[in-house]
Amino acid sequence: MEITQEMDLYQKLMILSDAAKYDVACTSSGVDRAGSGRGMGNCIAPGICHSFSTDGRCISLLKILFTNECVFDCRYCLNRSSNDILRASFTPDEVCRLTIEFYRRNYIEGLFLSSGILKNPNYTMELLYQTLYQLRSQYHFEGYIHVKAIPGASQELIEKTGFLADRMSVNLELPTAESLRRLAPHKTRKKILAPMRQVQIRRKENKEELVLYRNAPRFVPGGQSTQMIVGATPESDFQILSVAESLYRKFDLKRVFFSAFVQVNQDALLPALPGGPPLLREHRLYQADWLLRFYGFTAGELLSESRPNFNAALDPKCDWALSHLERFPVEVNQADYYTLLRVPGIGPKSARRIVQARRHGTLDFPALKKAGVVLKRAVYFITCNGRQMYPLRIEEDFILRNLLQVCERRPAETVTYRQLSLFDDGQMLGEVPEKLKLAGM
Amino acid sequence: MQGETKMVIYVCEDCVDGIFTGVYNAWASRLGHANVALRVEGPTDLELFAEYRSVETDAQKAQKVADTIRRRMGETSYEMIYRAALANAPEKADCIYRVLAVGLSRHTDSRIARHLIEGLQDTNACRIFELSRKVQNEAHRYEGFVRFREIEGGVLFSEIEAENQILPLIGEHFSDRFPNEHFLIFDHCSGDCLVHAARQQWFIWRGAGKELPEYLEDRSGFSGRGAGRESCGKDPEKARRVEESADGIRKNEEQLSSERIEKIKYPAYSAAGLPPVSEEEIQRLWRGFCGSISIRERENLNLQRQFWPLKFRKWMTEGSGQESRL
Repeated sequence: MEITQEMDLYQKLMILSDAAKYDVACTSSGVDRAGSGRGMGNCIAPGICHSFSTDGRCISLLKILFTNECVFDCRYCLNRSSNDILRASFTPDEVCRLTIEFYRRNYIEGLFLSSGILKNPNYTMELLYQTLYQLRSQYHFEGYIHVKAIPGASQELIEKTGFLADRMSVNLELPTAESLRRLAPHKTRKKILAPMRQVQIRRKENKEELVLYRNAPRFVPGGQSTQMIVGATPESDFQILSVAESLYRKFDLKRVFFSAFVQVNQDALLPALPGGPPLLREHRLYQADWLLRFYGFTAGELLSESRPNFNAALDPKCDWALSHLERFPVEVNQADYYTLLRVPGIGPKSARRIVQARRHGTLDFPALKKAGVVLKRAVYFITCNGRQMYPLRIEEDFILRNLLQVCERRPAETVTYRQLSLFDDGQMLGEVPEKLKLAGM
Repeated sequence: MQGETKMVIYVCEDCVDGIFTGVYNAWASRLGHANVALRVEGPTDLELFAEYRSVETDAQKAQKVADTIRRRMGETSYEMIYRAALANAPEKADCIYRVLAVGLSRHTDSRIARHLIEGLQDTNACRIFELSRKVQNEAHRYEGFVRFREIEGGVLFSEIEAENQILPLIGEHFSDRFPNEHFLIFDHCSGDCLVHAARQQWFIWRGAGKELPEYLEDRSGFSGRGAGRESCGKDPEKARRVEESADGIRKNEEQLSSERIEKIKYPAYSAAGLPPVSEEEIQRLWRGFCGSISIRERENLNLQRQFWPLKFRKWMTEGSGQESRL
């Protein structure tokens, strides 16, 4: 749609934040930078959530597109060129002012700037660079900036932008090259991975520079992230998780985000999802992602070719523990840190606290609870001083049954049975047999 | 003198310096650790066969205790004890005393003392750990949930209702973030106010609740008020410097006309010749943004409430709009 009249800032913000909302990354973590005292802003490594939207996601950054005009026609995207929607573009000044005014009032932790492809990748990247340059040098903004590297933009532009941003990301969009070819005809795997590799190599060089010159400018200090759409294409959880694992290993990514596919376009190539976005699947993938990054698991341990998808009823760690019962129970007062980490209900923090507290004496179950161990899960897998909390059988069926009662409720769609009651109206029995019908029942 | 078995209870002021002075006095009394206890001021049940002594807060004694904790038990332990002392829990003073009594007693090896606070088996150490975590979590949440609004003269003003005395913990963060802004964070629960003037050290204005409304009405009255102000940095020595710089702020306030402040804050605004945006408009933009960033297909109000409990929303710009949707 061609808009002739001038839009005001409010309208533009509504359109361009609405268009940016399907981007998952809203983290402001990874960088510790004190303010210089001359401008405004600092960064703290754990990140800060400033608000939460009604879908329960954190609002940490001012997440906007620079423009939602786009020459690409990706089938899953709201802003695809063939969609008839309102189009708008910010000017660099408008983005800077919004960021500064919001930041000053402590609404946000920084800026997340993405963009549709206006004219061509280089032109768009140049605009993003201009905006960041103004924000950093004219407005003296020292807060967090997450910017998208546009696939296909020149190396020089990406490098210049990287020195102004805290985190850069290129979206992988879909787990396999084949799916990408099908749903995003203008993007290729090669073009997406090229800037990712460039940022990785440049970051490594920059680290060496920083060793030599402490005050050398820092290149993408917060690392890079990416995201994949889950549920738009037929890949299995195992494939998706393996891709994530290799991205962590080969591209030094800080985060891989998963985005449950939300149907915004009607397209023959997209799956119909009558149950809404596959949120549970996304949740399981994130749980597994954490296991990869903080618990020392590998994708091959959690899933395999023969069992390619996660158990909907159990979280991946419980699932793993149940199929490796020979390793349990673990004696809390003796097991090393990494063994403790493998126990469901014990995380990095509580494992660390247990190891610290053991120096002062033996631990009992109440002390474990205080250390933050989730006993309702851990109780089946641990002993304190050789004793379990209650006499429990270490048997797969027994534990599974008990875990399902307290752990997480089974999602409604997988339940195929129901408790019979005296007053059942007969629906449970299925079709009424012909004979009974004839008998008038 | 006192009988050996009679309990002596030291009642101290509910602030870090007050509790540390209490620790000092109780220790110096030489009554034996088993015969003394610490309480913070406030309504509590009185004990029948105990002698109550009120503790007069003494910055020097508090400093001595703080230094000793740092030297013997390490910086990490000190920070934990400091945070626990800010908690809204009447038993905190006694827990701190009990842990220090073990940690600082002459026979304790410093290698043990440094890790004493990690021993979750001990009830007192565990309580300090819990309180410290609670206070730290609340402080971290408020680093995100504080909402400033611009009032007259370009001053940023914010109100919070914090369960614990978190203002000293967030002061450093906000003054590092907004070094060139004048800002106030007023805590309705404690009645204290965090004050930061551009390019100056921040300080806590104790009992600001009584005077603040007047101050907001009449900004010129600011320079005259020195009496109700009390500094309370993390470090008592720093606090003294704050006291000194408080005088500096008053001078600074007089020097900087609001025009000059504007120029410092927005060098680019005037250069680009852009018209200023009003406070209401910015709030409207923000509320709109919070609405449009949400994905309707994923709506989950319970999840939102879990991360962002309703009690925080009262003073937040976008809070009221969201509440009505529940």
